[in-house]
Amino acid sequence: MLREILIIVIKKFIHQFASPKTYFYQVNRLYPWLLYISISIYISAIIWGLFFTPKDFVQGHSYRIIYFHVPASFVAQSLYAAMAISSAVFLIWRVKLAAYLARSIAPVGAMVTFIALVSGSIWGIPTWGTWWEWDARITSTLILFIMYLGLISLHNSFNNFDKADKLFSYLAIIGFVQIPIIKKSVDWWSSLHQPASITISDKPSIDPSMLYPLFMAMIGFAGLVACIVILSSKVQIYIREKNKNWVKDYV
Amino acid sequence: MNILLLLKNEALKLVKKTRAWLGPILIFILIMVAFPLTIELTSNNLSDAFYPVLFISILLVMMLATEGIFLEDYEDGTLELFLISKKSLSQWVFLKIFMHWLLIGVPISLLGAFFNLGANNDLSSSLMIFPALLIATYIFLILFCFGNSLSLTKGSALGTLITLPLTLPILVILGKLNTAIIFNINYFEFLILIFGVLSIIIFAFPAIISRIIKTHLE
Repeated sequence: MLREILIIVIKKFIHQFASPKTYFYQVNRLYPWLLYISISIYISAIIWGLFFTPKDFVQGHSYRIIYFHVPASFVAQSLYAAMAISSAVFLIWRVKLAAYLARSIAPVGAMVTFIALVSGSIWGIPTWGTWWEWDARITSTLILFIMYLGLISLHNSFNNFDKADKLFSYLAIIGFVQIPIIKKSVDWWSSLHQPASITISDKPSIDPSMLYPLFMAMIGFAGLVACIVILSSKVQIYIREKNKNWVKDYV
Repeated sequence: MNILLLLKNEALKLVKKTRAWLGPILIFILIMVAFPLTIELTSNNLSDAFYPVLFISILLVMMLATEGIFLEDYEDGTLELFLISKKSLSQWVFLKIFMHWLLIGVPISLLGAFFNLGANNDLSSSLMIFPALLIATYIFLILFCFGNSLSLTKGSALGTLITLPLTLPILVILGKLNTAIIFNINYFEFLILIFGVLSIIIFAFPAIISRIIKTHLE
């Protein structure tokens, strides 16, 4: 009995929240809170990381770019995973909001991946003595960037949104195979890039004085990127639902 | 019988289109003949560069071989007929890719092993590279077919752009296989790895491609 009630409540919640209109108004309410909290967390993390953490024994002060590079790399991969999940939800349950979200994540993902590549390149100069190295992690991240661009190109080449969404979803799901490769590239291949400092199974190899601000930076950065995804998804809703009365009324 | 008939039809269609069948093989031969001309005539340089050039040229040739692979069938209504007749579209896709591999992939793999003999003067490495090329050509064909099915009416450039990132992990494994052949270590491990990849995508992708084609026809 309880199980059935729970299923009905979940279904009702999903059904309501899967409506672009409900989503639109809900994120409108959430957006300012998320934005201000994320900015506060990220700025605090940056101040903590730049001024109140010790310098690294080997890299000196140059390691402090970690508070920008690591969150960007982490979010770049997470966004792809989110996009693939949204695509699967769209293909399986035909939730059109999931397709809007997947499409709106793609340009943000490309931007964040580009930031990760550029910040990594800048970090490479003092650490490795080179802007670029054809190393497994860096190359696979570059492939992720190209993958995002390919997805955007594919979607933009079709005028029929329904067809474009379906094809985009197929490619996004197949392309997800790149994510574990990027994640494990530093373990599978001998690489200039250091192995992961933070893993689920092991104790972090990074000192807590540097780790806590890094966690904060990751949370703040993810929040800021979520804000951009919200804005991007609102643009998608404007484009797709422009003929709906509620959009006309809202505008 | 039905499968044999489909295979025969696909073979006839492919052989009739010389550009689609013989073209990629000739381009492969031209690349492999031309590349030693760009290197100093010392045998060490030639053998060092041989495998990367071989793998990249196979990738490009497979890309050419699948250019517009479904377009003609889409335009002449064959695909719609398949959909109406309730025949298995994924089976047809599987057979079409298989026939392309048989008529283009297998000759190119043989030629690749033959050119390896010319570049490295080593029969054992040729025998080692041949099965790897057979598998790699099939994987590349399937992946490019996937890309071409996505960009069915939008040109092969888009299909290539979206497929190339997916082929890069295979190129990485082939690169490792190259090292394995040169130093004669872990060869079978890498061969099994790409065979494992093939055994998954050989059945999964025809089903996905048929879903994509149905999306185009809706």
